[in-house]
Amino acid sequence: MKKILLLLLGLVCAVHIYAQDRVLTGKIVDESNIGLPGVNVILKNTTIGTVSDSDGGFSLSVPSSGGTLVFSFIGLATQEIAITESNTLSVSMIADVRQLSEVVVTGVGVATDKRKIAISVSSVSASELPQAPTASIDQALVGKVAGAQISSTSGTPGAPVNILLRGINTINKGTNPMILIDGVQMSATSLNTIDLSTIDRVEVVQGAAAATIYGAQGANGVIQLFTKRGKSGRLNVDISSSVSRNEYLNVGNVKKADKHAFVTNGENIVIGASGNPLTVDPATGAYSENVQYFSLDPTVTNSKEYNQNLQYHDHFDLFFRPANTINNSVAVSGGSEKMDFAISASNSHQESNVINNGYWDRSNFTANVGTTLAKGLTLRSITNVAYTKSTLKTRDRDIIFQMMNAYPFADFEATTTDGSIPYYLNQTIGINSRNPLYRQEYTDNNDKKIDIIQSFNLNYKLPRFVELDAKYGLNYQVQERRLEYMNQSRNQNVRYWAGQNSQQFISNYNTANTGDITKYNNSIIFQNFLASSTFTFDFKEDFNMNFPLKSSTQVMFDFRKNVIREFTTAAIGLPATYEPYNAANTSSWRVYRDYEEPFVTYGYVVNQRFDYDDFVGISGGFRSDYSSAFGQGSKPFTFGRGDAYLRLSSLDFWENGNIANVIPEFKLRAAYGQAGIQPKPFDRYITVNPATVGTSPAFFYTHQQSNSALQVEVSSEFEAGVDVVVSLFKNTPWLNDIAISPTYWDRRTDNSIFNVDVAPSVGLGTVKDNAFGIGSHGFQVSLSSTVYSGSNLTWNTTVNYGNQTSKILSVIGDQPILMTAAAGSTNYILQPGLKIGQLYGNKMLHAVDAVDENGEFFIPEAQQANYAVASNGYVVNKATKQPYLTANKYSFGDPNPKFNMSFINEFNYKNFLSVGFQFDWVYKSHLYNQTKGWMFRDGISSDYTIPFSIEGEEPQAWTAFYRGLYAARIANGTKDYFYEDATFLRLRNVSVGLDFAKVFSIPAFKKLQLVLSGRNLWTLTDYTGFDPEISSDTSSDSSSAWDRGTDHNTMPNFKSYQVTLNIGF
Amino acid sequence: MNIFYKFRILGLTLLLFGAASSCSDQLDVENPNQPSPSATKTETGLISLGLGIYKSGFLGGTNLGIKYYDGVPGHFWSGAIANHELMADVIGTDIANIFINQIGCPDKITFDNGASLLNPNSPNKQVDFIRITSNHNSTAGQNSLYFEWAYMYSLNNTCNTILSLVDQVEFTGDAATKKNVLKAWALWWKGFAYSRIGSMYYAGLIVSEPNGEVINGTNGNYVAKEAVIEEANRNLNEAISILGATTQNADYTATLTALIPSFNLVGKGGVLTPAMWIRSIKTLQARNILVNTRLAAMSSAQWDQILALTAEGVTSADFVFTGRSNTTADFLDPTTGTVSLKATGPNNTYKITERLVQDFKGGELTEDLRFKNNVKLRVNATGGVTPYIGEVSRGNSFFTRWELINRATTPGAASVIQWSNQSPGGYELFMAASYEENALMRAEALIFKGSVEEGLALIDEVRTAQGAGLAAVAGTGLTQEQAVAELKSERRIGLVFRALSYYDARRWGILDPAASGGGRSGAVALDRTGTVFRNATIEYNFLDYWDVPDNELAYNPPAEGSAPTTNPR
Repeated sequence: MKKILLLLLGLVCAVHIYAQDRVLTGKIVDESNIGLPGVNVILKNTTIGTVSDSDGGFSLSVPSSGGTLVFSFIGLATQEIAITESNTLSVSMIADVRQLSEVVVTGVGVATDKRKIAISVSSVSASELPQAPTASIDQALVGKVAGAQISSTSGTPGAPVNILLRGINTINKGTNPMILIDGVQMSATSLNTIDLSTIDRVEVVQGAAAATIYGAQGANGVIQLFTKRGKSGRLNVDISSSVSRNEYLNVGNVKKADKHAFVTNGENIVIGASGNPLTVDPATGAYSENVQYFSLDPTVTNSKEYNQNLQYHDHFDLFFRPANTINNSVAVSGGSEKMDFAISASNSHQESNVINNGYWDRSNFTANVGTTLAKGLTLRSITNVAYTKSTLKTRDRDIIFQMMNAYPFADFEATTTDGSIPYYLNQTIGINSRNPLYRQEYTDNNDKKIDIIQSFNLNYKLPRFVELDAKYGLNYQVQERRLEYMNQSRNQNVRYWAGQNSQQFISNYNTANTGDITKYNNSIIFQNFLASSTFTFDFKEDFNMNFPLKSSTQVMFDFRKNVIREFTTAAIGLPATYEPYNAANTSSWRVYRDYEEPFVTYGYVVNQRFDYDDFVGISGGFRSDYSSAFGQGSKPFTFGRGDAYLRLSSLDFWENGNIANVIPEFKLRAAYGQAGIQPKPFDRYITVNPATVGTSPAFFYTHQQSNSALQVEVSSEFEAGVDVVVSLFKNTPWLNDIAISPTYWDRRTDNSIFNVDVAPSVGLGTVKDNAFGIGSHGFQVSLSSTVYSGSNLTWNTTVNYGNQTSKILSVIGDQPILMTAAAGSTNYILQPGLKIGQLYGNKMLHAVDAVDENGEFFIPEAQQANYAVASNGYVVNKATKQPYLTANKYSFGDPNPKFNMSFINEFNYKNFLSVGFQFDWVYKSHLYNQTKGWMFRDGISSDYTIPFSIEGEEPQAWTAFYRGLYAARIANGTKDYFYEDATFLRLRNVSVGLDFAKVFSIPAFKKLQLVLSGRNLWTLTDYTGFDPEISSDTSSDSSSAWDRGTDHNTMPNFKSYQVTLNIGF
Repeated sequence: MNIFYKFRILGLTLLLFGAASSCSDQLDVENPNQPSPSATKTETGLISLGLGIYKSGFLGGTNLGIKYYDGVPGHFWSGAIANHELMADVIGTDIANIFINQIGCPDKITFDNGASLLNPNSPNKQVDFIRITSNHNSTAGQNSLYFEWAYMYSLNNTCNTILSLVDQVEFTGDAATKKNVLKAWALWWKGFAYSRIGSMYYAGLIVSEPNGEVINGTNGNYVAKEAVIEEANRNLNEAISILGATTQNADYTATLTALIPSFNLVGKGGVLTPAMWIRSIKTLQARNILVNTRLAAMSSAQWDQILALTAEGVTSADFVFTGRSNTTADFLDPTTGTVSLKATGPNNTYKITERLVQDFKGGELTEDLRFKNNVKLRVNATGGVTPYIGEVSRGNSFFTRWELINRATTPGAASVIQWSNQSPGGYELFMAASYEENALMRAEALIFKGSVEEGLALIDEVRTAQGAGLAAVAGTGLTQEQAVAELKSERRIGLVFRALSYYDARRWGILDPAASGGGRSGAVALDRTGTVFRNATIEYNFLDYWDVPDNELAYNPPAEGSAPTTNPR
């Protein structure tokens, strides 16, 4: 402290050295000639400066002669203007497209000019975010962050995107990064709850090298959102309305076979084993008997027309429908010198693309208010409130699966004689199919969520050296969901089956057909308190030493507490004869879940940074955390970090040489960091499972056991990169500011936690252990450039590229671990030396004499004569026509893409016309087409009608081959026939905007813009499913580390045509 | 620089560290939702652990006893045991979840007209299916061989935990008796678990250390199935000696009442006296001899052992260990908890087979009231018989005209035993020994020892007890061969759905390859068009004792000197 005081005293002397002779006044305006408040105005090489007022005006004491003024503002190009003799000055500032001149805060603790940053930080400003039909920030980020894989994996309204920043770090906790909003963690609320229109800027740091300062939760990277702030000056009112029409994607032209192979009589009438034509009993809605379908009979072909008693119905047309999304928002912002505010309210309403399936509706309120309480002391309050209501009745998989697994002759629209919607039309229409319309008829869902994100930030900037900052964030989510399955006991079809001793109905907890009401009352309360002190010294400026060293020291305390509560009750047995009714009118009631999960972690961060001139900088620090997962009295775990940059372009020879004309900016950077990934709150606590058996308590150890010896997972990352700005044709409008930032990274996680199988004779199934070593590496590059910048036209291009691969380095016990997709059926493998989450199963052969990994024939030599390669390229048995599948299982390959790439182009003509488009290219991702696999079970897939020939025979669509793909070795086993290349090129966004306010110079209107936009309008892919982008990971937040390559009846994305009107006053 | 600032900085720094140090007590969250292992270390806690065997020993899936679970076949009594009943041709299925269509699919059915149906699966022999497809660790939760093994070792583990704690816990009242009940309870279920392992797997493990609060692991010393049965009998004998030294008093009754689920304490499922319990053990020990020896290989000495054990075995008045469902499916689900519940009705997961019906005395034309009250033809709404043909690409033996009657909705005669009743608590499952089993084992021993009439009298007793309404066979001058046929029919019907049928089919040689004299001739079987043939020949050709599941071997490789873990067949 004494030192600081001494230094401070020194500074006071230094400040008085400068003489201030006269007062210069001026005005700073933007490109629209509107006053710009908050611009920093500094007399170069001094600490003399001011900030422009609400109208953009400023006044500053300047020397009588000489000197240069530096004008800077985030997002605008910094200008240096030599002071003339005039006492007035007018400055027009323009937007800076060179990303390197931005200031970033994420990953560095202290706001830092991007030119002096040693880590890779991506930042995306609001103007770069497309107005996605979902109006959510997560969808808008797709393709915007170099290196990140952000995928829209489901088209269900409100579905979250899948985010994988850099590699897979942990199996235990998924790939989701930490989300910060204005500096505090947002733990309870999901990213898709945040209204796109309230966000000013997003910064992303992708791994431990940058995220160490965020502690254990930062290992997967950090996405930080910055809420829009008001600017002092005049009041701004912005209104935006959009409507979009969404149509589900079917880019692979999925359809059902239009021919069948059932036993028919001479008139092609489908008959049952009784010899009678199949009929539907109108009283029950059930078919009279099963179809006769001898799928493995080598003479049977899928070649009969649906032209008699069974007719072809287009189920896709029946169950999918175009849906609308309507978004509205209004924002008011403004402020004075002492305060600023931005307040907005918005609503997004999205209907399901599935028939009669409800909607998803979100309303947001945001208020960002800042005040200056005293000189240097500011208080900011940011409030986000979101109310989300979903009435989506049925999980997409339930509906789509049952629809896809019905023979096309099923007439789902037919009702029984009393008007009931039949549920089970009999096994006749397909083993796994029930009528999805029935689900919609008897389900009612009302899922309401309130999210509150409130943060307070008290910041005290002392005149010199010290900045104190305290932030408190509260993130609260409360969910109240009422799910009702109505009483179905009077449904004629249900009653028929009950009479047949076959229970056919839907329910949540009820084991009878009398319905139930389940109420879910869940909440999450998350609190984050951060207090930091930052000490900054500039040895040259502050102490007048001839040594341009700057030092910045940050000490921070970070406390986080999360409490999850879940409470589920169900009332069972609903009235059948009257309505309305409520849960009190039911016959029984029970609590099914009562759960509380507290979690507390806190720790210290110390980070020291030195910058020498503008040339080199180095920083290092550590973070030390305590965690309730380890209990009271446990030791903290401490991880370090360090980074450095070397900015060659600031050297004299460069700055003053010719090279600066071509490469004005050149920086080398490298960073290293470790972050701990904590076990889940109870992973280390061993408990006995209590249950009730009859009337008494029973205890037992469940098969899945915790482990008190569990250690924290450790993710270590090294990254190195270059930040370059290139000017190709100086003094022409073409290709001037090309900013390129390539980064290579390499990381590994040790002690990754997993539920490791134990031998069943232990009497348990799995025990948590620090089981895996995981390694990943990748390369990413972002290129942004102003391709053309003329007086009327600007053309900006951004290209984002990233490749990454994650591998399992070691597994405890060395046994391969077989996993099954959460959506069911598909197998993955986790095995040392393999990439994480490879699909795993039996392979088809393409040569009769193919050999295995040991050089042995798959088909014994003596039997090879029984097989041939069919015209479709697969080895089949000549007699049975069944495909040959290997007895052993193999990993098929990595479902994760080889690279992701986005091309973003924006054109602006005369400030009023804007045109933009974005292509996303995901290369060599793979999906296991489980949707199709299931459609092979009953011969429903249109593949069944594809003829092929064996040894030159007449080509036929033999069912034995197709059925064999489903049934051979393992019924519905994972087979490489269904493992498909899901590479795609997608026109993600395209938009045309015309601002009438600028075209016609309408007074009072700052903006009157009409935007026509489209999303996902065009996709190029060889994938044969609905949508190559979907993934059926059903983990709670769709962020599974390994379950990333299955398409199992998940709702495809939709293409949207959107009209938006943006009005600004 | 103002001194004021200095204090502010100091103040904030102090605040920071102050805040930090006051946080540490907040780290002490434990898991507020569930008790820690210390909860088991009290009298009531240990009894709760004892009751917990109904969860840990017999239920699988999330938060239950074993890791893998598939809801279609279900838990132990409807799933693991279904493998037995499928192989025994009691039930059939065309549902492929965890290969239930394949484990019991015969190699070949040859009809009267010479046509035949081969096993349509690939591989198309059960032994190849087990060795090539099923029994790999990578098959994970689909390995047919995993389930019975895992359930029984989970049961064994809970029992080990009870035994490890029982002497550490303070008991009130007659502590010695309470401890004895708990010890007998654990030893009995260990005996049960080892009996099932040793009667099904070619080799097994003897694991006596508890796993849960701490992980003591297992061992790699695989022993032959005979040694597993020895271990079963050793535990059972220990239980006998404890029970022999225990008298039934209020503390005995209270303890055992608390260990058996209240909903099971109905019908034959009452609180066993020490003597009754010993008799259940004797019957189980007799079973261990009978079911693990081929009928043709039974020695006179073994028949004598069976006679001795069954003489002290379960009597018709005894309570035994039963299972029942309740509405909340704490142990068994009312409609799906057992094989027979899942075989009820025309469209259920399992269907009873033509061969089960054929094994009634007189086949489908039987006078047996158990048939009339439990089995009916599968008919459609207009009364026409509609055989179940189903997925012909999945098997060849599940085509059937028959379904089980749900006695909850079609009660029938109260005097006749129920094979299925889907109302909560309606069906009584015999988990281990029963009077009928004891009587029929004794009858078999008597018949083979030459006391045919004495044996037939016991068969008549069983039929009477179950309300069969059949004429007595004793005193009708049956030959030994005819008596054996009566006995086999009665074991098929009288002991059906008691997890014994597979053992019988195995020891009677039916499951062996045709070349070794196995298979079944004169069988009733349907072809895929529903035509009924009455003189079909079925070649089952099933593995007689299962290999040790690879799920075990992968994580617990055999130590040197272990017994072979693969059946040499």
